[in-house]
Amino acid sequence: MEKEHRSHTGLWFIMPALILVIVFFFIPVLMTLGISATDMSSVTGFDAWKWVGLKNYVKIAQHPDSMNNFITTLKYVSLTLVFFNVGLGLLIALITSHINKLAGGFFRSAWLLPRITPPVVYVLMWSMLAADAPYGVFNQLFRIPFGLSTGNWVPEYAFLFIVLVNGYIGASFGMIIFNSAIEAIPKDIMVSSLVDGASYTQRVRYIIIPQLRWPLLFVVTYQTLSLLTSFEYIMVLTNGNFNTEVWSLWSYHKALNNYWGNFQYGFGAALAVVLVLVGTILGIVYMKYFRFGALVQEPKIDQL
Amino acid sequence: MKNTAIFLIIAMMGLPLFATGEQEAPSGPQTVKFSVWTREGGINHWRADLAVEAAEELNAELKAEGSDITVEVEAYLDEGDWGNFKKKYSLAADSGEAPAIIVSGHEDIAVWSRSGLIVPFADSVQDVKNLAPQFDDVFDSLWEAATWQGKVWGVPQDTEARPMYFSKTNLRKMGWDDAKIADLPAAMAEGRFTLSDLIATSEEAIAKGVVAPGYGYWHRPRQGGDFVQFYKAFGGDLYDAEQDKLIIDKKALIDFYSFQRETVTTGITPDKYIGTEWKIWHDVVSNNKALFWNGGTWMWADWAKNYAQGGEETLWANVGFGYEPSGIRGEKGVTLSHPLVYLISSEKASGNTHQDLAIRLTALMTETEKNTRHAVESGHLGILKSQNDFAPYKESKFLSDVTYLLENNFYQPNHVMYGLWFDAFWNGMVASEQGTKTPEQAADDAIRVMKVEIEDQLIVK
Repeated sequence: MEKEHRSHTGLWFIMPALILVIVFFFIPVLMTLGISATDMSSVTGFDAWKWVGLKNYVKIAQHPDSMNNFITTLKYVSLTLVFFNVGLGLLIALITSHINKLAGGFFRSAWLLPRITPPVVYVLMWSMLAADAPYGVFNQLFRIPFGLSTGNWVPEYAFLFIVLVNGYIGASFGMIIFNSAIEAIPKDIMVSSLVDGASYTQRVRYIIIPQLRWPLLFVVTYQTLSLLTSFEYIMVLTNGNFNTEVWSLWSYHKALNNYWGNFQYGFGAALAVVLVLVGTILGIVYMKYFRFGALVQEPKIDQL
Repeated sequence: MKNTAIFLIIAMMGLPLFATGEQEAPSGPQTVKFSVWTREGGINHWRADLAVEAAEELNAELKAEGSDITVEVEAYLDEGDWGNFKKKYSLAADSGEAPAIIVSGHEDIAVWSRSGLIVPFADSVQDVKNLAPQFDDVFDSLWEAATWQGKVWGVPQDTEARPMYFSKTNLRKMGWDDAKIADLPAAMAEGRFTLSDLIATSEEAIAKGVVAPGYGYWHRPRQGGDFVQFYKAFGGDLYDAEQDKLIIDKKALIDFYSFQRETVTTGITPDKYIGTEWKIWHDVVSNNKALFWNGGTWMWADWAKNYAQGGEETLWANVGFGYEPSGIRGEKGVTLSHPLVYLISSEKASGNTHQDLAIRLTALMTETEKNTRHAVESGHLGILKSQNDFAPYKESKFLSDVTYLLENNFYQPNHVMYGLWFDAFWNGMVASEQGTKTPEQAADDAIRVMKVEIEDQLIVK
């Protein structure tokens, strides 16, 4: 009797979060799923649409751009994730936690600047940096003085630029998480490892990284999903031209942005559903790989 | 505390009274609010601001008729791009909050009328002309662009042409004499100067050091209808009116894509050029840094005011223009016109029940003096026969010199799937110009995308 009472109390505690998750996560996914099975578009409006079953998915399978956009997405997510969101984030966290506290804090704050700059301004800075001579800063500083050819670098290295533009922002997220996790490692372990003769690199390898497993899982999972669905910087920088049409941008273009204004809500929703599926599968894979189950088990010995 | 709570509860209970009270038509004096949306303020602000003046006239008329209604207009100038502007309207309309009147491209008529967002002005061109003397004054060809499935859905607001501009000063530096330069527009019109001549001339200019490499020819740096006229210049058709289907002509498409690629391989256009900032583009073309460039007539006013050093006088000294040259020798040059139209939202889309007043308002905005004011200030072409004899219009040297281009113009089709056709067409062009695909591959892929997306509404030639 008492046990049942307790489980009800738990339900009440979880209720606000549950409602939020249902209203803002589950219902939109179901709606997207529903819309993806219709021919809804600007032409049909929200009234005159019809159910078309899996037709939009067949369209995706037949679409000449599908494979290309899928590969672009895969490349974009994995490179940005590995080199910036996790790699650079971790590197900055390690370096700034090993230097003077004040300096460390200063550099970490500096890395937050891209994140707090409005996206359009931030991207405009990049595109003006890379613009053709005599306008661009790259050309002025690094090409013209050495007699090298000039150019408009964004279209030239479009893929590199979308990775850089997103990576410089993404790195700060991992940096904060990793840094606070490093700070949370008990000082005695950190110090005693050095006393026992470990070098700084050995300490990173054997003490710090193993303790970061949980934040690593979190950052990798969270940032994979966020990179899969974020496209605003790419949209402002290249608008998907020059082989940078990632899947989420493609979905946005089809569903909500078309130069002459016929929006394909149904087809765009089907593209979004593919993203939800890929995200879910990746989430499950990560949990297995990082042995999520083992991580959330209660410790066998209480750490004092 | 308790009192405040009770007050709040009572106030909230009373809210529905206020909400329904406004919707019921009162018998006394009534104010009807019209929102008028247009894209871009700046030199184009009159598109919406004319409505404010027209409303005063309409109110005077209504008063004289003994009506209790007063019209109030709120002009809204949207600064986003076309895609966003149309999205904003579609989504607002789908939730019943669209403006009473919107100024948009004629190609929106097919989509928005099919989905019930806009209402027709009249059942035929003749009927619309009978509605108001101002409508009778509009050029007949412009009504065609505003017609879909027999009905007239919009009132033309302005139109333009997209000439091929050239730098007279640079041609002179290349050794062209004045007579040859003066003949160039005629040569472009008659098919004596083609797109391959344009490439050859630009290459020569670069070889002679008159312009820098990559500055021989600049096309529009971003997406836009302009590119359709190149496809047309290679003999491509867009639309079969009888079957109401879109057309894609494979040979013309390959020729057009090859031309775009050639501009890069010959070095007359920069290697990676698409996406260049508009500011840079305007600065280059209006200050003699390029030899040829393709732009709109509406850009002239902007260059004169904001870019060309020395203003309009220098522009006249430096810049000439003509038809977009044909890709085929002996074929006439063409130009694309893209009339903007006033469209009136349905009751479902806007909640407005006074479509008749909105029509009267657009008639008052379509008056010679008002439309001329917009045309002259923004570099757009007039839409009214009476403007040809209207002094302020005639006095605008640019408008009177450029209007002849409308003699051989064409429009984009009013077809619900045109947006999808255009996106595939544009993506193929970018891939070909950048060299990521050969022109043939790019054309094949574009046609495959069109087939998947447009299905049976497409004819492949």
